[in-house]
Amino acid sequence: MELSPASWNGGLSRRGFLRASAALGAAGLVGGCTATAAPPGATKVTIWSWLTGMDKYVAAFNAGQRDVFVELRVIAAGLSGGYAQQTNAIRAHNAPDVLHVEYQGLPQILLTGGLRDLTADLADLESQYSPAAWRGVRPDGRTWGVPMDLAPMVLYYRKDLFDQHGIPLPRTWDEFRTAAAAVKQVDPQARICSFPLNDGSFFAGMSWQAGDPWWTAQGDTWAVDIAGEGTLRTGAFWQSMITEDLVAGVVHGTQDWIAGMHDGRLWGLLGASWSVGTLGRSIPKDIGRWAMATMPTWNGKPANGVQGGTAFGVSAESKVPEAAMTFLRWLSTNPEVPKIGSTFTTPFPAHLPNRAVARQAYQGGYFVGDPVYDVLDEAAKRVPDWTWGPNALRLFSTISDTFGPVRSGGITLPDALRRIQQHAVADMRAKGLSVREGKAA
Amino acid sequence: MSVLAPERAPVLDETTAAPPVRSRRKDFGGLLLAAPFAILLVGTVLVPVLYALYLSLFTERLRGLGFSGPEHVFAWLGNYLAVIEDKAFHTGLGNVALFALVHIPSVLAGALILALLLDSAVVWLRRMWSLAVFVPYAVPVVIGGLIWAYLYSPAIGPIKHLLGFDPLGDNAVLPSIANIATWQWVGYNMIIFYTALQAVPKEIVEAARADGAGGFRTAWSIKVPVIRPTIFVAVVFTVIGSLQVFTEPMVLRGFTGTVTSTWSPSMYVYEAAFVAGDNGRAAAASVLIAVICAVLSAVVMRFSTRRSR
Repeated sequence: MELSPASWNGGLSRRGFLRASAALGAAGLVGGCTATAAPPGATKVTIWSWLTGMDKYVAAFNAGQRDVFVELRVIAAGLSGGYAQQTNAIRAHNAPDVLHVEYQGLPQILLTGGLRDLTADLADLESQYSPAAWRGVRPDGRTWGVPMDLAPMVLYYRKDLFDQHGIPLPRTWDEFRTAAAAVKQVDPQARICSFPLNDGSFFAGMSWQAGDPWWTAQGDTWAVDIAGEGTLRTGAFWQSMITEDLVAGVVHGTQDWIAGMHDGRLWGLLGASWSVGTLGRSIPKDIGRWAMATMPTWNGKPANGVQGGTAFGVSAESKVPEAAMTFLRWLSTNPEVPKIGSTFTTPFPAHLPNRAVARQAYQGGYFVGDPVYDVLDEAAKRVPDWTWGPNALRLFSTISDTFGPVRSGGITLPDALRRIQQHAVADMRAKGLSVREGKAA
Repeated sequence: MSVLAPERAPVLDETTAAPPVRSRRKDFGGLLLAAPFAILLVGTVLVPVLYALYLSLFTERLRGLGFSGPEHVFAWLGNYLAVIEDKAFHTGLGNVALFALVHIPSVLAGALILALLLDSAVVWLRRMWSLAVFVPYAVPVVIGGLIWAYLYSPAIGPIKHLLGFDPLGDNAVLPSIANIATWQWVGYNMIIFYTALQAVPKEIVEAARADGAGGFRTAWSIKVPVIRPTIFVAVVFTVIGSLQVFTEPMVLRGFTGTVTSTWSPSMYVYEAAFVAGDNGRAAAASVLIAVICAVLSAVVMRFSTRRSR
């Protein structure tokens, strides 16, 4: 709890008040819902979300005005049950007013027909959002969500070790292979990074960079291109890295991975903007060792993938869509939000003026090398076109299932990708969707 | 030995022998006593089963990009056909069959041997031993799974170094999962067997001893045949449990890519319902699993009655 008595003694400062209300909100969360009562006459808006710190944002919003009262219920994260819960609620006609949708899950949620078209409500904000985030909530050219943050992928690396052994920071994937071999030569137990095969969202982010989007909405038809040239090139590159034993295979975030990152068996991480927080939490003692850079590129052409990112949708059956939008506009664009966020994480807002606020509020001290927000900004600028398909979440499972035997040589990544393409097309057609195979025309 | 088997179902006989004429007040009291059970049975078993049967006959159809929402259509047996034709479901059944092949004999043999050892006078510190073997059952499966997953992890766990191969690798993951389940269930079955052994009449054991039977002979020819009905009940439970294996592979999936999302039939149902969002197919698969469970249990029971006759 951040309830500091000092702020009460010295009169009720705005920040102190915010902290207090945040603490109260957190206390109310024990029962799953914020328990503070709505002010009389306020419009009640319900929201389901698994965003870290959402309780604090909601408490700050409720404390700041008396017209709209937001009631939060924290649900399980996305594929751990959050999407299933929201989809079932939409089917049962008792969805909350505001739903948590990641960019990658938005089109799949849209298949329920449960989201409100926000095209008119958000049109005035277009120029204020990062283009990659804006495209993320507009899979078919209509706006279906309010962008919250963006998660461009970045390369984290042990600058101390790279410098000590004279290995230059790789700027292309060819250089990355050379650096990987150099790392292994210096320390046969060490690898340049891990390439987890059971994480579909990670592989999608890696392929995103290669410039051949897996899905494109063309009129009334989905063009599906999971075995496109760029993706196959990505697959072939990592297949050769795996065959030559230049990358580790540990799953990001496991104890094995944390131990490897800390004891110098892993010299790098192909991560996303949120890994800034992950590193600080998982290996807090590694201050001054790690630096970050934009991803290596294919032949010098600047491009960066994305892994994750949050947006919020409004239920099509919500009786208070205006009040819901009042809250979501505040959540997405009010400078108070990144200020609160910076106290417990490293937010990277989709809203550009708010991103400047987050940059200001960033504490720093952990990373060496280029400033964190400079790298993230540059990475966000480099994100190429991409559309998530209506079967993206399920595809992540298919990817991890199909990639399973890659390490033991049971299948190669390019072959697996061709199989995944067939699987995805068959799955979409079985649902009745209109599908065309191959690159968008 | 069949003389030694306990008389079948004396309880049933008593109820059928009850006087046919009853007063209304008695009826009411009986209903009242049965109500909590009946309400729970109807509300948590019968209604969901019927609803699953209903769901399994419907599917959602989309058009174009799909953003205009789904249309509910009656699918006849389409969902069942989709599951039966799905290779992933076959692989899941195959995995579970292999799992059962490893798990069932090791759990039952392990539990039986431990129970016989506990029952014999050889064992000192009987309480401590039975508690030690039973403790894994008291550990929630998820936590047990996580503990094992850490032990299996190649870089931080000791098992890879002890065995010389990666317990989370392609070929080893099935025995690794079976090992977690066996660790969890040996103690539970041991307690069941041990309790049954306590009920073996002392006179028979003494008679056997007087006839010159040693410890092994007594265990194998007297005690095991006497508790055979209990063993068959344990077999039925273990068969059903094996078919429904879910938590152990689900936990290991977070640590390795070698466990697929549809590794076991239960995981297939989970994937269909909560990842693919296809409730019809999930319901159809659950009904199929229930049918397979029922058939297998019937086969085992049939086998057991034939053997104990």
